[in-house]
Amino acid sequence: MSTGHRAVARARFRESLARWLFIAPAAVYLLLFFGYPIVKNIVMSFQQYTITTFYTGAPPFVGLQNYSTILSSDLFSKALLTTVLFTAGSIVGQFVLGLAFALFFQRSFPLGQVLRSLLLLPWLLPLVASGTTWRWMLDSDTGVVNAALRVLHLLPSGVPWLTGTSQALVSVTLINIWVGIPFTTTILYGGLQDIPTHLYEAAKLDGAGPVTTFRHVTWPLLRPVVSVVLVLGTVYTVKVLDIILVVTGGGPADATETVATQSYELSFQQFEFGRGAAMSNVLFVISLASAMVYLRANRRAQNA
Amino acid sequence: MITPARPPARRSAARLGAGIATLALVATGCGGGGGAGAGSAPGKVTSITALDYYTDQTEHAQWGELLAACGGTVGVTVEQTSVPGASLIPNVLQQASSRTLPDLLMLDNPDLQQIAQTGALTPLDQYGIDSSGFAKGILSASTYDGKLYGLAPDVNTIALFYNKDMLAKAGVAVPRTWAELKAGAARLTRPGRYGMAVDANATFEGTWQFLPFLWSNGGDEKQLATPQAAQALQLWVDLVKSGSMSKSVLNWTQSDVSDQFVAGRTAMMINGPWRISALNEAKNLHWGVAPIPVPQAGQNPVTPLGGEVWTVPQSASKARQEKAAQVLACLNDSANMLALAKQHFTVPSRSAVAAQYAEQVPSMAAFVQSVEAARARTGELGVKWPQAATGIYTAIQYALTGEQTPEEALQHAQQIATSP
Amino acid sequence: MKRAPNRGWPSTIVGIILLALMLFPVYWMVNTSLQPTGNPLQGGWFPRHPDFSGYLTALRDQGRNLVTSLVIALGSVTLSLGLAAPAAYALAQFPIRGSNLVLFGILITQMVPSIVVANALYSAYNDLGLLNSYLGLILADSTAGVPFAIIVLRSFMQSIPGEITEAARVDGAGRLRVFRAVVLPMSANALITAALFTFLFTWSDFLFALTLTTTETVRPVTVGIYQYIGAQTHQWNAVMATAVLASVPAAVLLVVAQRYFAAGATSGAIK
Repeated sequence: MSTGHRAVARARFRESLARWLFIAPAAVYLLLFFGYPIVKNIVMSFQQYTITTFYTGAPPFVGLQNYSTILSSDLFSKALLTTVLFTAGSIVGQFVLGLAFALFFQRSFPLGQVLRSLLLLPWLLPLVASGTTWRWMLDSDTGVVNAALRVLHLLPSGVPWLTGTSQALVSVTLINIWVGIPFTTTILYGGLQDIPTHLYEAAKLDGAGPVTTFRHVTWPLLRPVVSVVLVLGTVYTVKVLDIILVVTGGGPADATETVATQSYELSFQQFEFGRGAAMSNVLFVISLASAMVYLRANRRAQNA
Repeated sequence: MITPARPPARRSAARLGAGIATLALVATGCGGGGGAGAGSAPGKVTSITALDYYTDQTEHAQWGELLAACGGTVGVTVEQTSVPGASLIPNVLQQASSRTLPDLLMLDNPDLQQIAQTGALTPLDQYGIDSSGFAKGILSASTYDGKLYGLAPDVNTIALFYNKDMLAKAGVAVPRTWAELKAGAARLTRPGRYGMAVDANATFEGTWQFLPFLWSNGGDEKQLATPQAAQALQLWVDLVKSGSMSKSVLNWTQSDVSDQFVAGRTAMMINGPWRISALNEAKNLHWGVAPIPVPQAGQNPVTPLGGEVWTVPQSASKARQEKAAQVLACLNDSANMLALAKQHFTVPSRSAVAAQYAEQVPSMAAFVQSVEAARARTGELGVKWPQAATGIYTAIQYALTGEQTPEEALQHAQQIATSP
Repeated sequence: MKRAPNRGWPSTIVGIILLALMLFPVYWMVNTSLQPTGNPLQGGWFPRHPDFSGYLTALRDQGRNLVTSLVIALGSVTLSLGLAAPAAYALAQFPIRGSNLVLFGILITQMVPSIVVANALYSAYNDLGLLNSYLGLILADSTAGVPFAIIVLRSFMQSIPGEITEAARVDGAGRLRVFRAVVLPMSANALITAALFTFLFTWSDFLFALTLTTTETVRPVTVGIYQYIGAQTHQWNAVMATAVLASVPAAVLLVVAQRYFAAGATSGAIK
């Protein structure tokens, strides 16, 4: 009987080994390419890492000093608020517009596929090119956006898109939404495609209108995809750096400084790499917290 | 029953994928290689590496020629690599930590002292390079802890460009004082055109453009919260408030300012001689240059010194360092200085050569004059300059947006400049 | 029929208007690229005298970089899917202990700013001689593709009924065979989505391209574009021309892929 047990145990071991072999390559890759940088970054955040350290390679350990310095600066609380507003605004905008586009493209019409592919263009363009173009377009005096507003008699004086402290944040949020729509639309479209048509037919037979159909057929089956879009979208948006740097450089008057841009500037303008690393860890915690809040709320909603 | 479809694309995609992977692995062999140059047979150096940020094609080609020529005179080829401006320092840092710095390294002059502080650069006195006759500003920027670490063949600074036709039509003389500047800019402003434009953006460029106004009024980067500094900032605030200067200056780079000037949307601008070739290309644009206006008549403007220095980083091979130093000396000799200056509309660093240059190229006389008195940004604060620079552009931003008064903004700036 | 009956031309017109609004900045880029001076302020709303010198410059200089970008992007897609698909399948269908931990770990990787990864990779690559190599960039750019592909593929593969795979195994097929012959075809939809995104992430990557190359031998077009952005002078017409040219091959690939995307959607339907 024991040989039988051993055989079963061996078979089970081989089974889990086979299963793990499926995961192993990806796991090794992720550990190497993410684990090492994460650890290095955490270690650096506890050191006084300056330009000199790059050459001498001997950074002094300063414990939590970097964290206390950056967290107590008044710019941090401002940047934190800006980050929250920027992220929330971007996610809402990207999601609503992305869903609208996805729903629009759901039914086929001539050129529908071509148009849907063209929608991906904002994502394809190098950010230095699209960011600079937006910067020109939003110039208060010479930009086409204000020119259009004036020509259409909507706003005779135009909007100080990039020079007003509150308007600048709105501007970079809108640009970020523009860049993010392709991502959201494509994923949501894929999710919509997976909803079986016969459910729509059944709803129609039951006499349901478009809104009811959406609420009772589309939305519940779309939930998992929506989760992916919202969580990943938040995580990606919190990290956004290039767009803000190219369009406003964090200005005017620090109005568009986020935790991400702060982290970059600490490292590459002030050459305080320890503090930059600490700030990027703060960024990481913010990401993590938002993801967990969302996932927990989602789980509660599902169990309800 | 399931009919797992196999879209034909997937199979060929898989084959294509395999092909790409193979290609990539093969290409790895061809593409691999680090930054250290070849030809390091012990004792005989046949090639050295150089790093700069001249990514613009024309500049890259011009510097490439010069580096090749200088290398030729000392018997080495020079492998020149150019990276985008903003990424030069990150590159240098990475290379410093992996000990793969190039043999010849170009740095923007305000960065030199910080890099020298790390110990990554070699002092130039050990190579017997002649540094006499150089403008004092560039020597002060290139000196750390009493030793000279770099030399710049050419330097530049900023001045006031004006549109001759617009000034003539409005009957405005070229402004020499702040009062004249304000009055002139107001007279030149009309719908679709501003009188004056500067770069006031939230980067070190904005700081750079403000420095002449700060320094000419007696302000100092060591202590920003002074009445003199506040007056200088008030000038800019007044120009924007009165409508003579667009509020968009908060967002413009020097390149944008120049574009505005060329398009006739501003009558005057603060900019540097590197824009001259673009200005010359513009048809129907008759431009002139004058020194930056000063607070009171008769004073001399003090402008910041721009220009890139060449340095010789530490290397395992003394022979390479020697060769690099020789190329550096060649780059900085009077003949090459003059040639470069004519190519790029910059000013030779040796005062004697600069005087010659002013005679040969009269349009650059204003710049030559300004360079003589130009100050290095790191001259006083040394490695603490980046913090002060951040404080200054922050103050400009807060004052021009109206968030703070100039005095408040400068107090805030001083806090930033002196924070640990 | 998967799709509702044709909505027809009114939808097309609305679609075109919406796209026109969305893509206006792209039009503006094309407009700038055709201006003789490249000064964005001197052109009108419409390029009345189109000047193609920007495009000639871009084609002359960036041709090689475009191919480099393409090779790296396709290589990254291959690598990412190769690593992610088996892992996603295992996480979706196998009852493995610790799979939740793995998933959480993957989510965590998405939170790491790319700069942190790029800077850490530099020193490692330098020691391994992977700087300035296609392989190095393919490996680095896959950091964007692999986690994302696992997430997307897993969420799709979760919906593959277990009976189908069980049936195949009962027929004697090994796990790998089941994976290749049954699961992958059914996941064509999700695979193409994941491939699409990995391609786009890699194609538009700038940071790794900038950090992990020190010479011009392997230079993706996102870095190549900086050839026209000097320290002081900017050739905007060439910059925008490069941007437009850089998006053309990618856009073509996407249109082609989307066609198979649609085919995969209909053929993968088993319900």
